[in-house]
Amino acid sequence: MSELFPRKQIMGFVFSLVLTAAALTVYFLHLSFAQGMAVLLITAFVQALLQLVVFMHAGETKDKWIIYGKVYFMIAMALITVFGTLLIFLWDM
Amino acid sequence: MDFFDRFAIPNPSIAIYASMVAIGLTVVAIIAGLTYFKKWGYLWREWLTTVDHKRIGIMYLISALIMLFRGGVDAIMLRAQLAVPDNKLLDPQHYNEVFSTHGVIMVMFMAMPFIFAFMNYVVPLQIGARDVAFPRLNALSFWLFFFGAMLFNISFVIGGSPDAGWTSYFPLAGNDLSPHVGTNYYMMAIQISGIGSLMTGINMITTIFKMRAPGMTLMKMPMFTWSVLVTNLIIVTVFPVITVALAMGTMDRLFGTHFFATTNGGMDMLWANLFWVWGHPEVYILILPAFGLYSEIISTFSGRNLYGYKSMVASMVIISALSCMVWAHHFFTMGQGALANSFFSITTMMIAVPTGVKIFNWLFTLWKGKIRFTVPMLYSLGFIPLFVIGGVTGVMLAMSAADYQYHNTMFLVAHFHNTIIPGVVFAMLAGLTYYWPKMFGFMLNERIGKWAFWLLSIGFCLAFFPMYITGLDGQARRMYTYSEATGYGPLNMLSFVGAGVMAISFALIVYNVYYSVRYSPRNIGADPWDARSLEWATHTPVPEYNFAIEPHVASSEAFWDAKKKGHELFPGKVEKIHMPNSSGVPFIMSAIFFVFGFSMIFSLWIPAIISLIGIFACMAHRSFENDHGRYISVKEIEETETKLRGVN
Amino acid sequence: MKVDHTLPLEYSTKQNGMNIFGFWVFLAAEIMLFATLFTSYFTLEHRTGSGPSGAEIFEIAPVLIETFVLLTSSFTIGLGVHAMRIGRKKAMMTFFVITLLLGLVFLGFEIDEFITYIHEGATLQTSAFTAMLMTTLGTHGLHVTFGLFWGTAILLQVKKRGLTPETANKSFIFSLYWHFLDVVWIFIFSFIYLKGMM
Repeated sequence: MSELFPRKQIMGFVFSLVLTAAALTVYFLHLSFAQGMAVLLITAFVQALLQLVVFMHAGETKDKWIIYGKVYFMIAMALITVFGTLLIFLWDM
Repeated sequence: MDFFDRFAIPNPSIAIYASMVAIGLTVVAIIAGLTYFKKWGYLWREWLTTVDHKRIGIMYLISALIMLFRGGVDAIMLRAQLAVPDNKLLDPQHYNEVFSTHGVIMVMFMAMPFIFAFMNYVVPLQIGARDVAFPRLNALSFWLFFFGAMLFNISFVIGGSPDAGWTSYFPLAGNDLSPHVGTNYYMMAIQISGIGSLMTGINMITTIFKMRAPGMTLMKMPMFTWSVLVTNLIIVTVFPVITVALAMGTMDRLFGTHFFATTNGGMDMLWANLFWVWGHPEVYILILPAFGLYSEIISTFSGRNLYGYKSMVASMVIISALSCMVWAHHFFTMGQGALANSFFSITTMMIAVPTGVKIFNWLFTLWKGKIRFTVPMLYSLGFIPLFVIGGVTGVMLAMSAADYQYHNTMFLVAHFHNTIIPGVVFAMLAGLTYYWPKMFGFMLNERIGKWAFWLLSIGFCLAFFPMYITGLDGQARRMYTYSEATGYGPLNMLSFVGAGVMAISFALIVYNVYYSVRYSPRNIGADPWDARSLEWATHTPVPEYNFAIEPHVASSEAFWDAKKKGHELFPGKVEKIHMPNSSGVPFIMSAIFFVFGFSMIFSLWIPAIISLIGIFACMAHRSFENDHGRYISVKEIEETETKLRGVN
Repeated sequence: MKVDHTLPLEYSTKQNGMNIFGFWVFLAAEIMLFATLFTSYFTLEHRTGSGPSGAEIFEIAPVLIETFVLLTSSFTIGLGVHAMRIGRKKAMMTFFVITLLLGLVFLGFEIDEFITYIHEGATLQTSAFTAMLMTTLGTHGLHVTFGLFWGTAILLQVKKRGLTPETANKSFIFSLYWHFLDVVWIFIFSFIYLKGMM
């Protein structure tokens, strides 16, 4: 039975629950907007990375670098779209 | 009769009734012809169900040429209306419809399938593959594009064409200001063909990364393949954006949401923003494969390897990243502050650098080359100076402070046609002439082709250079007429003449196809241009399995090395080849998509839901189906090879 | 089909490797799809018109349950893929069934949440904010719904055909999809709910 529950997976799950709990601090504590956003950005992106590496096995084949490159390129483009739009509509209009 | 009223044209005219009759007659003629010559089975077996990348490429090509004709007629109508002041040829509503459909058709349904045609036909051959990574998905991409295009085109005769420009800005495109269904057509047709484009992007990236011939490392890929790879990276990046934007626009128009409305918190400018997040990279999606084709052609006809291979690759990658960071330059005047405008101004100007690198690389490739002035080469040589003019005016427009003067004038229209026609259209015509013998087994007539090239170039200059001047003088784009007192009359007449010359040139190209079908010699061999990359190493016509033996590659010009340096291209012996089976599902599924789109456009909810279920049923069918493809036996391959060697 | 036995079953043929690679490219496109939704959401977040704002309608309890359920389903499908790799068909199917059931629970809570919103006067037509909220959540919810059907189809195939290179390949790709939806949910949880209630 125990071979069905590998350590790596369980540690990943526990860690993702810990990250969720950490993100919840912004709800229960009275943080400033900047502090709250910092907490959320860190917990969300670490959580995403965790899923990518532990559960999605992104790095297990020899296409590793293409897959990582592709995903990181896309994340960069996504951030550019989000922050570029915010620059246009919220911060500088 | 209320039910049928919605299908009526809101602003009918004689031209529209005439087209209804013409479309009806054409459909009847096609059906009658297919029945009379008993070609239904052939059409279904060999074309509608095919998953062969070469046939799909040819179908893309035919669709693109038909759409070029449709968009070209629109263009002539626009120029005719503007040829003299206070003209009454088109009323304002028709003018709006014609420039809207001209833009959408030329970008989405002419230029896109044209580049997909070359991607599909050439890339697997260039990398020595048997097909693309997902042949069935490839067929689905094509049919989604095709039915999207058909859906867009019937708007002309059923319900009314979109009339809010190819950008379809809200609130103009909203229900209040565009009450008839035209803009619904815009939303659904682009959505459907856009899904196809996204699938092509996934397919091509996988093909190029995973199916290259042994020995072909990334830096030994031919330049066209590189350009296709980079292009598809952009497609996968930005097509999801337009998918979301169109879905939101559709919801605004059909379900009463307020995304882009001016009430209840809606923000019309968000549409412009999302549209250009996709729209700007989209123009690089069009131009990069064009750059790839020019690279192949210039290198072939200069008799030299491409100068600066690595810098070519680097500049394309930089362009692809920068192209996603410049979108706000399309709306400098929308009201955002100086900081945002400066940022987007600078990134826009930066794109000129890698593009300049590419121009110099082509010039250095020509330097000391043995240049052959064939038709593809003439287009490539014409492209360099004309495109530079378009690029330089682009840098003018990139300066946000100065853009307040140019914005929304004919200067802008001149600029983007100046990049798209010598950039994309010339490349497509060059590619068409260059790959024609590989596709169809005979060459296009060079003499007629040269006439067409010169007429097109001269017509282009006549048509678009005057617009720079009238634009700087203040002639606004998208205005259906102007008064005589403005003094724009003579220059607009000149533009009309130029448009006429271009039309003659396109007619010559059509005549050239007819002439060459009749008179061109058929025994041209596999390599009529003395070219350099792998696609010329297989037979003409190309057998369905492309290469009997998998090629082994040692440089980016594998075929040239094989010819000149005695490099062994096909070591090994013939083995049985695995090929995918044909399938009718992509065609059927796309046809259901067409019904779905049509039902959505006219708010017919029950057929929409039924067709949506049909779409999912097709997907479920694909999931449960057991299809392992088929094998071509060694005997069969050897017979084909002997036969093809006999021809050549 | 050439089968390479040195690789895990889901990678064992060339086509299998390409399917997984192609699906990664698709997921990259999905990143951009959700990024566009987030872009629009952030732009329209405070444009509530005459409707309610996020702080007024969000509730922490159902959101926490949804998050926990989805995180757990991501864990169980990870275990399912692990079981598949050590050749335990039955265990793999059990984990997949648990995953899909958790997905169903998630969906139930989400539908309940939507009904509550509508009762509170936050419908698709109320304001740009409510429309964008429902579109973003709805897109994720539709992905989960599609996943439930897709996952069921794959389970039926595994049951009928056993663990072959093809079914293993499909199962693995489905697990990628499911993990990805979990990642998207984390961002919705953080930047829509928590940010809105902060």
